[in-house]
Amino acid sequence: MWVTALFAATALAYAAAAGLYLTSLIKGNNRATRFARWTLLGAIALQVAFVSMDVSLGSPMGRMHQTLTGLSVGIALAFLLAQLRRENISVLGAFLVPVALFFFLGSGIGRSVEHASNESLLVPIHIVVNVLGLVAFALAFGASLAYVLQERMLRRKNLGGLFERLPALDVLDRFGLRAVLVGFPLLTLGILSGAFWAFRLEQAMLGFTASHAFAFIAWTLFAGVLGLRMAAGWRGRRAAYGTIVGFLCTSVVLVGYMLRTGLSS
Amino acid sequence: MSSVVVVGLSHHTAPLQVREQLAGETGSLEVFLAELLRREVFAEAVAISTCNRVELYGVTDDAAGSIQSARTVLRERAGAAFEQVLASGDAVYGHRGRDAVRHAFRVAASLDSMVVGEPQILGQVKEAYDRAQQAGTVGMLLGRCFTRAFAVAKRVRTETGIAEGTVSVSSIATSLARKIFGDLSGRRVLLLGAGEMGEAAAKSLSGSGAHLVVVNRSPARAEALATACNGEAVPYVQLAAELVRADVVITSTSSPSYVLTAPMMKDVSKARRGRPLFLIDIAVPRDVDPRVGDLENVFLYDVDDLQRVAEENIKQRAKSADAAERIVEIEVEEFEVWRRSLDLTPTIIALRERFTAVALAELQRSSGKLELGPKERQVLDRMVKSMVSKLLHTPLSALKRGARGPDGAALIEATRTLFDLGEVAGEDAEPSEDGKLAPEKSRS
Repeated sequence: MWVTALFAATALAYAAAAGLYLTSLIKGNNRATRFARWTLLGAIALQVAFVSMDVSLGSPMGRMHQTLTGLSVGIALAFLLAQLRRENISVLGAFLVPVALFFFLGSGIGRSVEHASNESLLVPIHIVVNVLGLVAFALAFGASLAYVLQERMLRRKNLGGLFERLPALDVLDRFGLRAVLVGFPLLTLGILSGAFWAFRLEQAMLGFTASHAFAFIAWTLFAGVLGLRMAAGWRGRRAAYGTIVGFLCTSVVLVGYMLRTGLSS
Repeated sequence: MSSVVVVGLSHHTAPLQVREQLAGETGSLEVFLAELLRREVFAEAVAISTCNRVELYGVTDDAAGSIQSARTVLRERAGAAFEQVLASGDAVYGHRGRDAVRHAFRVAASLDSMVVGEPQILGQVKEAYDRAQQAGTVGMLLGRCFTRAFAVAKRVRTETGIAEGTVSVSSIATSLARKIFGDLSGRRVLLLGAGEMGEAAAKSLSGSGAHLVVVNRSPARAEALATACNGEAVPYVQLAAELVRADVVITSTSSPSYVLTAPMMKDVSKARRGRPLFLIDIAVPRDVDPRVGDLENVFLYDVDDLQRVAEENIKQRAKSADAAERIVEIEVEEFEVWRRSLDLTPTIIALRERFTAVALAELQRSSGKLELGPKERQVLDRMVKSMVSKLLHTPLSALKRGARGPDGAALIEATRTLFDLGEVAGEDAEPSEDGKLAPEKSRS
């Protein structure tokens, strides 16, 4: 009962923070931004309370639940921390907090799944590495989305209020690049550990599922974004599109797992 | 009681020549202040003088008379040539009380500016206020009025979109460059050609910390421009190399055909390896082939684009002005509440009444125990009233002196609290009464 209430409260807090960030992006209201920051902090606190209560009541934490919990808290925290930098990127909350909300809602599915207790150490590593990598990609995704919007408005010479509030292209470009640079090795590790684990676990039925395909596409995209950036000076818009599609692919992998866990539980 | 008045003229009411004549050379502020002091027009005074407005703010007990005298000061200063213009009632406006305070708030918040929302006016008002303070003509009322005006300006700036978007071509170019590159320090700005607007834009950019490079067909002209804008002159043959190195390129040549053609810029773009390039084509006819704007990571703006942005921003600001006016209205109301609390008269009357009532009540009680004839009664009555007057004389004198000082409001407030006199009743009308304090009756 209390657990459900806490879950709902957390979801509401995330939604409220997302709404406030959207308001501050569209209306340019400084007070909304400050309010949004506190609401987001509140959402994190609520989520921590929710998870600890859930665990203390003895429900086992499914793998998917761990991953998605880590993702939503990670994105929210990383975004708040990234705001401590010099450049003002608080408007990115309008793109990032909905993503955190989405993952948090997903974490409700398959919350208490019992796993075999004889799992290897590889599983927690796989989860942690993937979560960190995805948090980095989520930040890159937010920055890239803002970049694409900003670039479009600049090109169409449509310089309304939204344009005023988005950070400079160069700031977004560098922020996105840095996030991808952090996320890429983590994603590589995540895919390798996952593949290795799957290989050991399901040797008999080692098929090439859709999830694997998307993970592979995402990896290739990020590799491409980084490689072309270094080799051919691929910057700005194309890199931003690559990052956005790459992040969506990794999300598709997650959603696939989410659905499978949801169905099997 | 004392109220704030303002007398002046602005771009709304008077032509430029008159304003020029009045604003005159620097130091005119002190001249105005000295003149106002000499004629004893105001008890407090602040003079504002910019190219768009000349205004005299003051505090007075006699609003109508002071406005007349201040008009005379302005008229004399403008000289005979503009006698006609200033004599007509419309050119020089005079506001008093609430309207004067509102005017001060609107001016500081840039709501009365020619370009609504322009940031310079606040600095100019602050400077005028500082000068008046140095001259010792700022007292409690104007002090509060102007510090509130600065606070209002800040509120308007942060709470409304009135200052959003720039409205001059060169500052738009700079703010666009900032939107692309973020910090401009260390960026390379290439100025091609010698047009006046190009020069202004280049200066604005290099003022933001960018490094300026000037390329011109005439080396002498390039050199002169480079010196003027604190930049570096580069021979024309190096144009292609400079185009590759630059972050921002401003073109304003008088060439009849495209100076930067599409094939040429395609090569440049390739050599730049994706680094963003901001091209500002200020020349008419244009210097840059419009197709260049389709290249990846190249942002091309011509004069029309910049002009359109300027117009759009001006429109946006006008919309925000409504919200700003509401803020001003709230602040004016607050100021008026504070000013009313300054009014000594009700406090003095209430204090006197309180004391007299207590004394007479005591007398009434005691006189029952005594057998008094009407004559004795009268003597005692007078004695009690005189005692009240004498007892109150010292504190009331101190109160009147203190109320004119910087902590006047606090002193009155303290008095009302000490003797439990309650809140000051509001008055709806403008302070049209002569505002003199109740004459002292403490004859002994």
